[in-house]
Amino acid sequence: MTASDVRDWDPGDGRHSTPSTTRPPAWSADLPPHPTADLPPVPSDRGSAAPDLFEVVEHFREGLVVCDATGVVRHVSPVAERLLPGVTPGELLSAAGVPGLSDGNAGGFSYRGRRLTARQVPLSGARCCWYVEDVTDSVGRADALLAERARSAFLAVVGDKLGNPLHPDRAAAAVVRLAVPTLAEVAVLVLAPRAGRARWWRASRADDETPMVDSGALAAAELPAAVADGLTGIEPHAVDWLVEQAIDAGLLPGLAGSAARVVPLPGRDAPVGVLLVARRATGWYDEADVELIRAFTARAGAALTTALLYRDQAEVADTLQASLLPVEPAEAAGVQWGTAYRPAQAGLRIGGDFYGSHRLADGGSVFFLGDVSGKGVEAAVLTGQLRQCLQALHRLESHPGRLLRLLNDALLETTQAHGQGRFATIVLGVARPQRDGGLTLTLAGGGHLPPLVLRASGEVESVPLRGMLIGVVPDPRVGEVTVRLAPGETCLLYSDGVTEARGGRRGDEQFGTERLVTALSGCQRMPAPALAERVEQITCDWLAHGDHDDIAVLALRATGPSGRESRHLHSVPTPADPDQQEETDA
Amino acid sequence: MSTATAAADPTDAYVGYLDCLADADEYGAIDLATGLLDAGVPAERVLLDLVAPAQVEVGERWARNEWSVAQEHAATHISEQVVAAVAAHANPRPTGGRVVVACMDGEWHALPPRLVAEVLRLRGWQVTFLGASVPAAHLVSYLHRYDAHAVALACALPMRLPYAHRMIEACRRSDVPVVVGGRGFGVDGRWAARLGVAWAPDAPSAAELIADERALRGVPSARLAHLADDEYASLVRRRGELIDGALADVLERVPSARGYTATQLDSTVSDLGHIVDFLAAAVYVDDASLFTEFVEWLSGILLSREVPAGAVAHSLEHFSVALRDFPRAGRVLALGCAALPAAGP
Repeated sequence: MTASDVRDWDPGDGRHSTPSTTRPPAWSADLPPHPTADLPPVPSDRGSAAPDLFEVVEHFREGLVVCDATGVVRHVSPVAERLLPGVTPGELLSAAGVPGLSDGNAGGFSYRGRRLTARQVPLSGARCCWYVEDVTDSVGRADALLAERARSAFLAVVGDKLGNPLHPDRAAAAVVRLAVPTLAEVAVLVLAPRAGRARWWRASRADDETPMVDSGALAAAELPAAVADGLTGIEPHAVDWLVEQAIDAGLLPGLAGSAARVVPLPGRDAPVGVLLVARRATGWYDEADVELIRAFTARAGAALTTALLYRDQAEVADTLQASLLPVEPAEAAGVQWGTAYRPAQAGLRIGGDFYGSHRLADGGSVFFLGDVSGKGVEAAVLTGQLRQCLQALHRLESHPGRLLRLLNDALLETTQAHGQGRFATIVLGVARPQRDGGLTLTLAGGGHLPPLVLRASGEVESVPLRGMLIGVVPDPRVGEVTVRLAPGETCLLYSDGVTEARGGRRGDEQFGTERLVTALSGCQRMPAPALAERVEQITCDWLAHGDHDDIAVLALRATGPSGRESRHLHSVPTPADPDQQEETDA
Repeated sequence: MSTATAAADPTDAYVGYLDCLADADEYGAIDLATGLLDAGVPAERVLLDLVAPAQVEVGERWARNEWSVAQEHAATHISEQVVAAVAAHANPRPTGGRVVVACMDGEWHALPPRLVAEVLRLRGWQVTFLGASVPAAHLVSYLHRYDAHAVALACALPMRLPYAHRMIEACRRSDVPVVVGGRGFGVDGRWAARLGVAWAPDAPSAAELIADERALRGVPSARLAHLADDEYASLVRRRGELIDGALADVLERVPSARGYTATQLDSTVSDLGHIVDFLAAAVYVDDASLFTEFVEWLSGILLSREVPAGAVAHSLEHFSVALRDFPRAGRVLALGCAALPAAGP
């Protein structure tokens, strides 16, 4: 007979008080209580004969032990007899040696292989009654549930941590680190061999929570047979010699006599690798353990496959990207270059702004800074084409205006051929060193923002350079201006990502040319690289982490007569008398 | 001992080096540093006992208003050239793994992390220095592309800590351990502990920490349960409104402010923005000392530029009223007011 057999037992005669009649009324005091006549009538068709109370008690799920005031057992129900064979009527309960019953602290305890709970209820005449329940099954179910929850939690953590490292080596290290200590004391990941070498990562449990990870490589021929099998997609079962093989291959040092398993990591077609797990302390891997390892390796395999795919694609992307990044200007006599470049899409690192310089045979340099319509990869590809055009064309034509027209023709042809309405703005110039250490700049404008010149006096001039966009019409109007830089003076080219940066109080105000000019005044003695970085910095400070367009800056400074400029600041004002110093310099 | 020994000590060369920075004498500074190397001084000592303290002095001269921003930038540029020259001179052979060194997004003080990068390189690491103000997306795409043993991130200003935290988390998600440094984490690194990240007070400790992967990964996790009260998020949302209100308050209380030029207005807005950002950062790490240290520093800066401390006090009071529903921010502001030097007229 089980507890469920007595569940619907009706006490029958109503002598046993039911909770509803003793509970204080739930309704509010100012409402009249429901008349008892409204209650459903007590069925009277059965239980007319009062059952023996102990007969009822026998069917309780809980066993009963009644003790008298001196602690001597007076009654033991049949269930209690079965659960607590040591408890005998007429003897002291404490003499029975049941851990949960002797000292009055109720709760759960183990007795003769069962999980029991007990509660003590005082009865009249200083007697007491112990209610004892067998909870072995429910505790077992709860433990199983907890174990299942722990497995789910572990797999959730694994999914979370493995989704992110996109570098294959990082992902491999993360796989073994996550496997310890939940799955193994030592976990080894062996990747499918590439060019005859199989790389492996190993995590070993240390004293604290953080496992130690190391890695190495094995010749494919030296792999343990079980691992080699695993790499073909076969999961070897119960292999006694696996541990010995792995120890021989140097994968599991000092783990003789431990339990081990090999599970493949699913890849795109063949397994991407195998996971070898080994442990001593908790012994053999049972079916639930192996299930968990398989669930783990499924996730690990997906993560590694993604990382390998990403590596292959990133290799291609990097090569292409490198060809689209601006190249630092070529060193030239009498010129100090300074550059800054910050593409709109930071993760991409390329954009629609470009700059560069080439040395001319006569000792001068052609330099340029421009902006292609649009952003991102497409714009970057066009900047690459423009830079390559200039690299070729400057050998044929060194006059900035004519060079710009040639570039316009080339761009027009390209965009028409591709049917895309792309255009560019550009400032293109030739710098020629003068005998006095200054520079003569011949500038041609293609619809770009006019350059600024930082004079030795501290004044910031805007160069009156106009002109039309390039890549739009066959024979554009090109602006041409000649600027002379005295030694120490600087010409600054920049893209609209600087002046159109949105920031300020509300994040919607344009930085503007005026703020740029103000920020540059007083900077006339700065080295060109520091100046370019300052423009980048004030622009980014203005943006305050907001989105921005591509930002490019090219500064060129006349270094003076000697190739080796001894001092950037010919007269840094001393704290003592700054004003006088300013004047001597001007 | 000969006269060469005097020059062969970085601390003795320090005064001469500062003179080179003050005169913007790039080649003099480089000659001085390479001279020390030729005399047998280890490159690490030249970097840490000569270039590093000189850079601290450069910052202090700016704070005391003795040097302009332009001079500070020029001096920093020269020190960068010196670091490059020292690195080229030493030319160490990499034996260790790759370490990526970068400035947090929005952080422009690139010389201290550059020194850390060179010290790591001298100790055999293969170092990639990504430079100033590295966007998180750039750093993460770099980490996905190249296997890094560790990332070292620098932050000089505590107001960038919330961004720093996001960046640290981004690196962690790529499973690369992070070590941070710089004054932005507090003189004792207490805000690094708050954000749950390993912290190194100087380049040699950073090098030791990076060599110890267990220490790098065994950092107690972040303690940021207080963020549940949403005060930080609300402060960030209301940033523009708070600055607008404070600016209107300044214009009303300080008659001379009505005659400000556009540039002066911009810098007032920028100062008010800094106050809000430091307040938000203090609320983020739940430590009022972040804000009080800033208020003390700001008062010093303004004093050296002859701006009375009263101006700061007014704005702090204004923010206290505007943020009366923010108990944590309110406490921080009250302590900030208390940290101000006795208000003048």
